[in-house]
Amino acid sequence: MKSVITCEINGEPRDALADGRDTLLELLRDRLGLTGTKEGCGNGNCGACTVLMNGEPVCACLVLAGEAHGAKITTIEGIARGNTLHPVQSALIAHGGTQCGFCTPGIVLSAVALLDRNPHPSPHEIRHAIAGNLCRCTGYDKIVEAIAAVAHGTNIDVKPAP
Amino acid sequence: MTSLHDTAPIAPMRVVGQRLPRVDAGERVTGRAIYPADLTRPGMITGLIKRSPHAHARIVKIDATKALALKGVIAVVTSADFPEIKPNTIIPFGETGADAWVSAVIVLARDRVLWRGQPVAAVAAVDAHVARAALDLIDVTYEPLPHVMSIAGAILAGAPLLSPDLKPKGFDTGTPIVRNAGSRTLIERGDTAAALQSSAVVGGVDAVIDTAHQGYIEPHACVAETDAGGFVTLWASSQGAFQTEIQTAVLLGLPQSKIKVIPLEIGGGFGGKITVHVEPIAARLAQISGRPVKIVMSREEMLTGGSGPAAAAQIDVRVGADAQGRITAIAGHYLLDTGGIPGTPTTLLMQASAACYQTPCLRLEGIDIMTNKPRTEAYRGPGGIQAAFAMEQAIDEVALKLNIDPLELRRRNAAVTGSLMPVGTPFPSIGLTTILDRVAAHACWRDPIAPGSLPRGRGLALGYWRGTSMTSAAHVTISGDGRPMVTMGSVDISGTRTTMAQVAAEEFGLSIGDVHVASGDTKSAGYSDAAAGSRVGRTMAAAVSEACRDALAQLTRRAAEKLQTTVANVTYASGVFRSGAAAPASISLADLMRATLTDGAIVGRGVSTKLPFGVEIGAHVADVEADPETGQVTVLRYTAFQDVGRALNPVAVEGQIEGSVVQGLGWALTEGFDYAADGRLRNASLLDYRMPTALDVPPIECVLIETPVPGVPYGLRGVGEMPIVPPAATIANALRRALGVRLTHMPMTPERVLAAIKGANFGKASG
Repeated sequence: MKSVITCEINGEPRDALADGRDTLLELLRDRLGLTGTKEGCGNGNCGACTVLMNGEPVCACLVLAGEAHGAKITTIEGIARGNTLHPVQSALIAHGGTQCGFCTPGIVLSAVALLDRNPHPSPHEIRHAIAGNLCRCTGYDKIVEAIAAVAHGTNIDVKPAP
Repeated sequence: MTSLHDTAPIAPMRVVGQRLPRVDAGERVTGRAIYPADLTRPGMITGLIKRSPHAHARIVKIDATKALALKGVIAVVTSADFPEIKPNTIIPFGETGADAWVSAVIVLARDRVLWRGQPVAAVAAVDAHVARAALDLIDVTYEPLPHVMSIAGAILAGAPLLSPDLKPKGFDTGTPIVRNAGSRTLIERGDTAAALQSSAVVGGVDAVIDTAHQGYIEPHACVAETDAGGFVTLWASSQGAFQTEIQTAVLLGLPQSKIKVIPLEIGGGFGGKITVHVEPIAARLAQISGRPVKIVMSREEMLTGGSGPAAAAQIDVRVGADAQGRITAIAGHYLLDTGGIPGTPTTLLMQASAACYQTPCLRLEGIDIMTNKPRTEAYRGPGGIQAAFAMEQAIDEVALKLNIDPLELRRRNAAVTGSLMPVGTPFPSIGLTTILDRVAAHACWRDPIAPGSLPRGRGLALGYWRGTSMTSAAHVTISGDGRPMVTMGSVDISGTRTTMAQVAAEEFGLSIGDVHVASGDTKSAGYSDAAAGSRVGRTMAAAVSEACRDALAQLTRRAAEKLQTTVANVTYASGVFRSGAAAPASISLADLMRATLTDGAIVGRGVSTKLPFGVEIGAHVADVEADPETGQVTVLRYTAFQDVGRALNPVAVEGQIEGSVVQGLGWALTEGFDYAADGRLRNASLLDYRMPTALDVPPIECVLIETPVPGVPYGLRGVGEMPIVPPAATIANALRRALGVRLTHMPMTPERVLAAIKGANFGKASG
């Protein structure tokens, strides 16, 4: 059984026909082509599919597409303003906070949500905020450093190339 | 090839050695990087795999009639749709070749399933919902067979034999054959038994290590499509495009010239994405249906038989020493769980575990044992962490028995340049003693452990990994505006595009922003081995620098013509060709290309084969705290010392070390497969298979030491594998000092820590 889901994604009104079994993740990736949101586990354990739903970080794989009807969704595609990166994105680049990149969109969304409600988190608060996002490449240090740099307004510019 | 690099390039270097962000990082932080699961092709359909519910069974019959009748189902394949690959079908692969039969059994079972989750059939349908329904309609009749789920069980007399027809290799006359053995390797010099007998002390540890998983966040995925002429294109997330190509071609019975692999982004591999898993199935479904087919594994599939975990092990080590703390003998017995298919190698991990020490007598015996688990696959320094968990604890026992500082004991026995490696040949340039000096001088070793209310302890362990070299190829063309465009035959799993852009920029004297580096597909790039074995940075640097120099030589001939002088009179630096002093004249690389673009392509070629190894050595120090009430272990401080030869890009090097250490801490403390007696995996999710989160690990401090390797560009060493080797032993040695007990079962979960404490108390109580 399919139904039309109407929601606001990254500030744009969107309609999509979704199967009753579709998750928000499938709606975004398969029905709307927003593939920046990744699927790492499909049951809310890895955080790769983190998006903001009405401002709150959620695992898109745990939300049914039908539940997104009428909601405001922010995905990784909506974080930069055109070609201007969000400070969290710039800082992750500058600090080496992305390696294979598969967990990165989820990390960005969790960090953006954290800084929205707590602009000056401690390193422990940062680790707590991304504890639902598994990263297997970085060991987390450079991600935490990047988010801390945004919080303290330091060193978020990408070093100019020689 | 080697002579090119015998003298160090211009120092100080401008781009090599700089802390630079990844050239592809912008794509990653914006979600624009494309992995195979993100790809959609016109008319694409979805493939899913049906897996065995039995740990060991004969397949009696597969009936797909009902599945094929379901509306929306387009094709079903079983092993009958693939040519039968016999054991010992050796294909060119890695250092010694690989058996395509192993890949074939992993991809699709034929007559017998050897582990739960082994593929038995696959379906392609219009969407995933229909495909899932179709899987349930494929009827498979099994005749269950007895199974065995552990090394300890598999070697018992009477255990079910997994390969009754197999004649295990390496058991000489007189050596009793171990039940379910695949092969045996022995490395021996001197009379180890006698030396242990007469040693002042012997430190021993009998360790058991559970199966773990590489844990890459991106599940296996690919898209396959065929053209009207039967040419197959495969978009893959793989550690080696050429290795995916040859395995898929052989499994399909297709000439290699009829298949092209296009590497997309790879969301982590760590050794688990070298063997093909879904690719040949997607390709066959695409051939049959005439439609592009995408297959994406679920996490549950990956954990329960869809991908190869890292080997469980049983490792017993004895280290003898004299009263002055000089090692007299090292004996190690390594049983490695190979899963359902024999052939997981033991030789490198055995050598690695003993490589840091000089010893007159050595006896290392390794055997791979078959169990009804998924076939073991490589995991970052394969076997290194398991072996070090036993060996470095045994060394620590010697230090305790002799009451010698564990760092001092290691200094007295450290391997040095020219001392004998376990295989009996002299060590090439290594900086172990320098590393130990740096540890001794560092605050992580000198400072007292910060006080706390719970028991705390400090541990030290060494690590070694040989890595490999094999073959890498690159070519450089020059675009019409004079900018070098590099195409590599290797995929990028560790920032290779960035580090190779640094190498190319260095060679051309340009900015990193003025060079472009990409991984080519298998029909547009030169053959390269897989991105594995800590080899790509070093060997691709050799190939890229050779390709750049070849291109520059061609450009110099062209510049000489334009400048109306001889080649010998032309010099090149930083994007400008200049003629000699007699008639000074110059032309920029950009102007030269604009003037000569239509005169023919500039193609610089570089191939690196059999570069000297860049062996990796390091030492790790950790402070831990353990709660005797709960068994909970907290890592308070962690410092990793490593000789990296030369850090091509320190950000990338630290990233490799930090990530590798945290993977090691995961296996050390929480990651282990929990198999039920019936062969079910009880923790087949990332909730229950517990990888470290940001809250579980401390910051990892990296101390980089640079002892260049002669004959290798920039003196580079491998980086990424070694740092996963010491963590478990480092934590175990710290816990020994915190709690007074040895943790010999890995992962060292709270239950096991508690059991060890209780066992020790019980032991005391009963005298």
